[in-house]
Amino acid sequence: MSVSEQDELILNAYLDGELASIEAARFEQRLAKQPGLAAEVEARRALRDRLRSGLAEDVPSDDLRRRIMASVDSAGERKASSWARSWSSLAASFLVGALLGGGLIFGALNDQGRQDVANQVVSAHIRALMAPQSFDVASSDRHTVKPWFAGKLAFAPKVVDLSTQGFPLVGARIDVIGLEPVASLVYSKGKHQISVMEMPNPRGLTTQLTQHAEQGYQALSWSDGKITYWVVSDAAVEELKTFVGLFQELAES
Amino acid sequence: MPVDWRGRHATDLNVDDQTDQTRFVEVFLPHLDDAFRLARWISGSRADAEDIVQEASLRAFKGIRTFSGGNTRAWALTIVRNTSYSWLAKNRPSTVVLTEDLDQHAREKMERAAGDGDVPTPEAALIAKMEAEEVRNAVAALPLPFREVLVLREIHDLDYRSIADVIQVPIGTVMSRLARARKLILAALQESTP
Repeated sequence: MSVSEQDELILNAYLDGELASIEAARFEQRLAKQPGLAAEVEARRALRDRLRSGLAEDVPSDDLRRRIMASVDSAGERKASSWARSWSSLAASFLVGALLGGGLIFGALNDQGRQDVANQVVSAHIRALMAPQSFDVASSDRHTVKPWFAGKLAFAPKVVDLSTQGFPLVGARIDVIGLEPVASLVYSKGKHQISVMEMPNPRGLTTQLTQHAEQGYQALSWSDGKITYWVVSDAAVEELKTFVGLFQELAES
Repeated sequence: MPVDWRGRHATDLNVDDQTDQTRFVEVFLPHLDDAFRLARWISGSRADAEDIVQEASLRAFKGIRTFSGGNTRAWALTIVRNTSYSWLAKNRPSTVVLTEDLDQHAREKMERAAGDGDVPTPEAALIAKMEAEEVRNAVAALPLPFREVLVLREIHDLDYRSIADVIQVPIGTVMSRLARARKLILAALQESTP
């Protein structure tokens, strides 16, 4: 029998236990009256049973687990030595920054560590603009974007809706700054794109807004004590400051 | 003592690495069988699946700090699924079908199936009598985006929300692909029955 597209979705959801109990009960009443529909459900159930039989035999060779642990062990050793090298130089520059900045007015001083991050966030923004699309998930809905980050990051980034203020959200991606994955939100302002990169700030220092200019891009940064934010764009500085003001306001609320 | 920008002490790295291995063993390794099955269904071969799972394990190990809690199984399967795709693109480029081609292909096939009005719908009893092998072959012949949704649902028993997370599409897309996948399989099994 032919089933309407709507019924098709409902009968699949019923079979998969994804209907709310009231809807499921209502659907069962229909099944009792419509044998054709019931046959469709049964055919799908039989398909499931067939697919699940013999699953226990479908396992990898004993050798696979051993090979995996061997490769993880050797990767662990490589990682430790290469990290120690790259961290020691990067860490030294950040230590200078932390001592000089003292958590108050980072950007006013010539802070090498912060400059390194500014270079990296602007590079990430430029790289994103050169890709076929500047985001991995396209959505103007913060309720779609926020869960997308879950499982990819060790912290929950702030995602705010600024569409009514003229800065619609277009999507999100993950960037890597200083060897760590960070959350990047992509907003637009006319033809300009604005990247907002968020990274955890476990030292808990609050810092005020600082501004860097790199290759025609503006990079604005602040920290609210939990998250350090970087806003990068080639839009006008005044527009970006408006954007930052709105973002801070909504991120706090 | 040098401190990095996240506040970690550089000399603690070896200790951190110990933790990474422990976490890998706790988070990823319990799902090895699941990982293997998914890779096998996506790649269509045991040997390829073992290569894929080995590569995915390394990725999981390197990214173990990005795991922020929650469903370890869905996290592991997401990595295996993404690794399968990049592995296939590199080593078996002809097997990766683009979604656009596939929609066309699936639509035609479904229209053909729908056109055979006089052939009865395959009964549950008919499928139950079939060799499991035959049913599996029909699944293996499904275009990849339908196959992976069906496998995650039927073999891995994931709910719609978790499938959506693993393949990074909205739930509505999971529902329509799953509905189509089952319809395509039933149509194929019906065709194979004299």
